[in-house]
Amino acid sequence: MRTFLYFLLYMVIAVAVIFLAAVLGAHGAWYFAWLVGTAMIVLISAAGGALLDTQEEHAAQQAPAERDRS
Amino acid sequence: MMVNGTVVALSRIQFAATALYHFLFVPLTLGLSFLLAAMETVYVTTGKPIYKDMARFWGKLLMINFALGVATGLTMEFQFGTNWSFYSGFVGDIFGAPLAIEGLMAFFMESTFIGLMVFGWERLSKGQHLAVTWLVAFGSNLSALWILVANSFMQNPRGAAFDPLTMRMQLTSFPQLIFNPDAQSKFVHTSVAGYVTAAIFVAGVSAYYMLHKRHVELAKRSFRMAALFGVLATIAVITLGDALGFVDARVQPTKLAAMEGLWKSEAAPMPFNLIAFPSQAQRRNVADVRVPYLLSLLVTHSLTGTVPGADALERQAVRRIKDGIPAVQALHVLARNPTDAAALAEFDAHRKDLGYGFLLERYAPDLNDATAAQLERAARDIIPPVAAVFWSFRVMVALGLLMLAYFVITVLYTLRNRIQRKTWLLKTAVWMIPVPFIANEAGWLVAELGRQPWTVFDVLPTWMSASTHSVAYMAFSLIGFVVLYSVFIAVEMYLMVRAIRLGPAEHGDAGGPGPQVRPSLSPRPLPAAPYGRRLEG
Repeated sequence: MRTFLYFLLYMVIAVAVIFLAAVLGAHGAWYFAWLVGTAMIVLISAAGGALLDTQEEHAAQQAPAERDRS
Repeated sequence: MMVNGTVVALSRIQFAATALYHFLFVPLTLGLSFLLAAMETVYVTTGKPIYKDMARFWGKLLMINFALGVATGLTMEFQFGTNWSFYSGFVGDIFGAPLAIEGLMAFFMESTFIGLMVFGWERLSKGQHLAVTWLVAFGSNLSALWILVANSFMQNPRGAAFDPLTMRMQLTSFPQLIFNPDAQSKFVHTSVAGYVTAAIFVAGVSAYYMLHKRHVELAKRSFRMAALFGVLATIAVITLGDALGFVDARVQPTKLAAMEGLWKSEAAPMPFNLIAFPSQAQRRNVADVRVPYLLSLLVTHSLTGTVPGADALERQAVRRIKDGIPAVQALHVLARNPTDAAALAEFDAHRKDLGYGFLLERYAPDLNDATAAQLERAARDIIPPVAAVFWSFRVMVALGLLMLAYFVITVLYTLRNRIQRKTWLLKTAVWMIPVPFIANEAGWLVAELGRQPWTVFDVLPTWMSASTHSVAYMAFSLIGFVVLYSVFIAVEMYLMVRAIRLGPAEHGDAGGPGPQVRPSLSPRPLPAAPYGRRLEG
C-alpha cells in the first residue's frame, strides 16, 4: 500500500512537471531554462563534490601500493 | 503640480542609494541558498557528515546575509509610497500585484523555511531537511522573480493600459505581465548573477582556509563545488546578458544607444565602441577605440542588422512629443469632465504618445505655448546619461569575462585535485570576492540609469513621479538612510568576518592552528569500582 501511495505521489509530481514544462516552454522559455539550468548547475556541483571524495579514496588506495612497489 | 527638481533628484539618489546597498546582500542569498542545496544533496545521497558540516557552516553565513538583506529591503517598498507617491498612484494597480505576491508568497515561504533550515537540523529527518533547504532556495529566488517582474514592467510596460477615467494605469493581462520578455531574461540574468556571486564568495573563503591550513577537507570540497557551480553560472549569466541586450535593442533603444555610446546612426555592419569617452553636451564621443562589425553581431546577431543612434531616436521623439500634446490636453479636459466624448476620442487617437506629451510639460506647462526650443529640449531628455551607462556596462562585462576566466582556471586545477598547491590561485580567489558585487552594482546602474528619463518606459517620466516633499525633508531622510545602511553594512562585514574567522567548529577536521574548540562540558562517567567498594563498606 505504501509503495502504491509513493507511486501515486511521484506520478502526480511527474504530471505537474510535464504540465509546467509545457506551459513554460510555450510562454516563458527563459523561465523554463532557469528551472532546468539551475537543477543542472546544482547537480553538477554536487557531483563535483562526490567526485572529489572518489579521487581522494583512489589516491589513498594508490599510495600504499606505490610504497610497496618502491 | 510641478515637483521641485532638487526633490526629484534627491528622491532618485535616495532610492538609488538604498537599492545599491540592498543589492549588495540579495545576490549572495540567491546563489548561496542553491549552493547549500547542492552541499546538502551530497550529504543526503552519500551520508558523509562533512557535507552536513559544510551545509551548516555556509548556512550560518547565509543567515547573517539574509537578515541584513531583509532589513535593507523593507524600507525600499515604503519609499514607493513616501517618495514616489504619484508613481505609486499611477501604476500601483499593476506594480502592487507582483510586490504583494512577493511579500505574501515568496518572502513568507522563504522566511518560514529558513527558520526550519537553521533550527531544524536536530528536529527534521535528512530528507525533510533537504526539502526545506531546496524550498529556501526556491523561495529566495521566487522573491527576486516577483520584484523583477515589477521592475520589468517599468522597463517594458506590458499587460496594462492607461484609463483616462480613473487617471491611472490598469492591469489588462497578468500573463503578459509575468511572461514579459524583459522580465524573463532579467530574472534569469539576475538570479544566475547571484549564483556567480555565491560561488566566488564560497571559493574565496575556502581559499582563505586552505591558505591558512584550516578546515582543509571542508574547504577543498566547498571550493570544488563552488568552482563548478560558478563556471556554469558565469556561462549562463553571459548568455542571459546577451538575451537581455537583444530584448533591450527592441524595447529600450535609448538605453542601448547609451550602453554603446551610439550618438549617430550608422550603416551595417556597425562597429562596437570598445572604449569611448562620451560627452552628453557635445552629443558625441570625444575619443573612441572601435571594433569593426561587432555591434551588429552583438545586438542583432547578424552582420546586416542595425540599431538606431541617439540622433535618430531624438528625431523620432520630436514626432512622438508632437503627437503626445493632444493626448495630454485631452486628459486635462477629461480631468474636469470625464464624460466629454470629444476629449475621450482625441485621447484615444493619441494615447500611445501620452508619455512623450508629459516630457514636454516639464518645460512647457502650457502646451499651447510650447516653443521649438522646448520641444527639442524635451526630445533630448530621452537619452539617458550616456557616460555613466556606457562605463557601468563595460565594467559589468569586463568583470563578467574576468570571472569566467577565473572559474575556468579554478575548475581545471580543482578537478585535478591540485588546487591546494596553487597558492597564487588561492590568493587570487580571496581577492576575487568583491568582483561579483561590483559587477552586480554596475549591472543595476545600467538597467536603472539606462531607463531614464522614465520611471515607466515611454509612459511616465521621472520628473512627475516623485512626491511633493521639501528639499530639507529629502536631504534629512537621505542622510538618515545612508548612515543607517552604512551601519548595516558594517554589521554585516563584522558578523561575516567573525563567523569566517571562527570557522566551522563542529566538523571532524581538526582545523589546524585555528581557534580552539571549546572542551565538552558533558559529565564524564565516574569509575564504578571505588564507589561500589565504598557503598559495600
